[in-house]
Amino acid sequence: MKKILFIILSLALFTSCERKISEYAADKGSANFTTYISVGNSLVAGYADGALYHDGQIYSCPNLIAGQLQLAGGGAFVQPMVNSNVGVAIYPGVSPRLVLGYAADCQGNVGLSPVPAQGAMDPLAPVGYAVNNFGIPGAKSFHLIIPGYDTMNPYYARFARGLGGPVVSEFINLHPTFFTLQLGDNDVLAYALAGGSRDSITNPALFYFAMKTVLGSLLATGASGVMANIPDITNIPFFTTVPYDGLVIARQSLADSINMAMGFYGLPFHYVAGANPFLINDPSSPHPYFKVRQMQPGELILLTVPQDSMKCMGMGIINRATQLPYPIPNQYVLTLAEIAQIKAATTVFNTIIDTLATNHHVGLVDINSTLKQLSSESGIVWDGVHLDATFVTGGAFSLDGIHLTPRGNAVSANAFISAINQRFGSKIPYVDITKYKGVVFP
Amino acid sequence: MRRITFLLLLFCFAAMTSFGGGYQVGLHSTRNTGMGLIGTSLSYDASTIFYNPGGTSFLNEKWSFSGGLSLIMARVTFQAKDVNYQAHLEHLLNTPFYFYAAYKATDKLSLGLAVNTPYGNRLSWGDTWQGRYLIQNLSFNAITVQPTISYKFNKIIGIGFGLVWSYGTVNLNKALPLDYSGGEGQLNIKGSTIGFGFNAGVMVHPIEALSIGIDFRSKINMDVRSASATFTVPAAVRSEFPDSKVEVSLPLPANLDFGASYNINKKFMIGINLCYVFWKQYDSLVFNFRTKTSALDRTATPALYQNRLIPRIGLQYKINQIVTVRVGGYYDPSPVQSDYLNPQTPSSNEIGLTAGLSVFPVKGFSIDAAFLYLMGTKRDGTYSPENFAGTYYSAFYIPAIGLTYSF
Repeated sequence: MKKILFIILSLALFTSCERKISEYAADKGSANFTTYISVGNSLVAGYADGALYHDGQIYSCPNLIAGQLQLAGGGAFVQPMVNSNVGVAIYPGVSPRLVLGYAADCQGNVGLSPVPAQGAMDPLAPVGYAVNNFGIPGAKSFHLIIPGYDTMNPYYARFARGLGGPVVSEFINLHPTFFTLQLGDNDVLAYALAGGSRDSITNPALFYFAMKTVLGSLLATGASGVMANIPDITNIPFFTTVPYDGLVIARQSLADSINMAMGFYGLPFHYVAGANPFLINDPSSPHPYFKVRQMQPGELILLTVPQDSMKCMGMGIINRATQLPYPIPNQYVLTLAEIAQIKAATTVFNTIIDTLATNHHVGLVDINSTLKQLSSESGIVWDGVHLDATFVTGGAFSLDGIHLTPRGNAVSANAFISAINQRFGSKIPYVDITKYKGVVFP
Repeated sequence: MRRITFLLLLFCFAAMTSFGGGYQVGLHSTRNTGMGLIGTSLSYDASTIFYNPGGTSFLNEKWSFSGGLSLIMARVTFQAKDVNYQAHLEHLLNTPFYFYAAYKATDKLSLGLAVNTPYGNRLSWGDTWQGRYLIQNLSFNAITVQPTISYKFNKIIGIGFGLVWSYGTVNLNKALPLDYSGGEGQLNIKGSTIGFGFNAGVMVHPIEALSIGIDFRSKINMDVRSASATFTVPAAVRSEFPDSKVEVSLPLPANLDFGASYNINKKFMIGINLCYVFWKQYDSLVFNFRTKTSALDRTATPALYQNRLIPRIGLQYKINQIVTVRVGGYYDPSPVQSDYLNPQTPSSNEIGLTAGLSVFPVKGFSIDAAFLYLMGTKRDGTYSPENFAGTYYSAFYIPAIGLTYSF
């Protein structure tokens, strides 16, 4: 008996070897990833949670891409690092990074909410070394071609080398062999973030000229690369979290008294118990004095709307102090007309990007369709992680509602990698998205 | 005394892993393991109570006992699709066991009791692996007890019927993609239940050298009515994930077996077996949380298994009065479709090769040993509901020992 057991066990040990599957064989295809630079705006910089901070940069989309390119001959990828996890003091009074915490609203209700992180920011100072990541928060397409941009944008001033010259003049000195370009978002986003009340959408002719110049200066270095198009920004949580009809009236009697007040002011709006549209400004209103109207389905309220004023001061309906109609200020609202402009501009810009990519044999990263998928009902599912464009719980967008979480950046990086592989016949493995966090809960 | 110690040992090791298709374990007699896991047409020891109760009444001795266990060593490698990532299944040693006792009440009527582990799955991929949101580790055991009655009409035909009582336990851990500064969310589900089924078979000996058996083992519904679900989640979302009772339903599929064996001469025996497994009964793994929130509800994890036919062949050769040797083989096609291949039960089409021997130190008593090697084929698959894709490559090394005694 013992002998048999011994024989069986030794037989077992002898044969207990692992099954071998060959490891993923990364291959660079026709590309050369030796010196990779990334160019663009805040999405490139690793800006997240309303600030540029250390960990956001570590998980920036280009840094994740660079990590994968290193498996196929890619070199070091240097970023203009912020040392603080609270932010960098770009200008006095700049907001620190947001974290999820607990905050009391005007009614004293404590709830889960993005709150400013505690701690010290990095002072604003030049980093003093050459970088591979040219992600410049706030940069529009044409900003990269104007001389002296370092005097206008301190994010760029931190790492600018060729002082006084345009950003595009720096690329040649870095001898890049490969680039990713994600630019143009702010050409429409800046207008949208201002609720269409300030700023403006870039003129398409200027956009074309700027993008062509930026791309041309990258290609002039001898590098090859890919460029991303622009997502439909009206789908991001910054615009979709506060509903147009978020005015909830508890009782019919309350609705009746509001109806009476509106009638008194000569405003033909009807309120019911339950969800009602907020009141916004409307310069074209026929009313002699109150240039207001109710919001329409499809119109958007910005995440930055002062929610305490809405909850406790009557913003969006009737001012509790003056008892007068109290519309949400224009800078917090995107009307259907403004949305139409944004969508039309996005389409034009994407046509330009598509044409440039085709004409210059640059791979196209269809971030627009990635975001479309993310904001669809089913979202994006990867390795058991369900991501969508819902604020906080969706896991993809950081607490500013605009920029991505590390996990969202991983999804974005994979869209870039997919485009790189397609364009250059390379075999760059995807980022393992389960290694990266979504929104961090307290 | 020896028997008692042996039995105790068996119950201590009541844990197993699935191999081959799904979560069905085929190791119910060391002798049969040695020859390709055939058994439906065999009535040479008490394991016939399980393989075909119709054969129990053909046992010659007044008392027949059989017991044993197998050591399953599973080796599975996972390579993620398009990602530079590999994982290996942890090296757990799993030990399905069996014990059978048959009593010949009259010449025609026999009574029997089977205790064994026909279904189970125990595996661990580790806590931090890429597929942790699908499964970290899983332990599912079903021990069945089957009191059996068998009647022999004459030398040619016998029938048998057993009631199957099954006790099952489940313990499952998976991570949840809910991040907090200390880590990420975690779910544990733990519970036990009982289920009932039956086992009926017919054994026919049209001529003395030929034996034909048909056996049907019914589906057993394992409905865990009150498993406990324990969540480790960030405090901020705790109210959405309260610890709750949860109903878990898992069917143990029915089997229809056909077997035939022929004694070529006094020394040589050849047997075949066709086993049809009603895997389609495993449509989905359902979790129904009793405390419902916006995050917790009834969730069905689709499995969509397919029915499968397993052909087996075995040979036995009696060298002398003391030593008998066996070889066999079978093909076990995976019941899992490629777009529903889940790391909970990584399954591929497998070829099993077996060898075994029995030593009879005295008449009526044998020490049985067997070795089963399962060659998995490399398999690409995606669990599409969770978009988890990769290549699985498996091998199983299964030594088995047993004792058979009749008097």
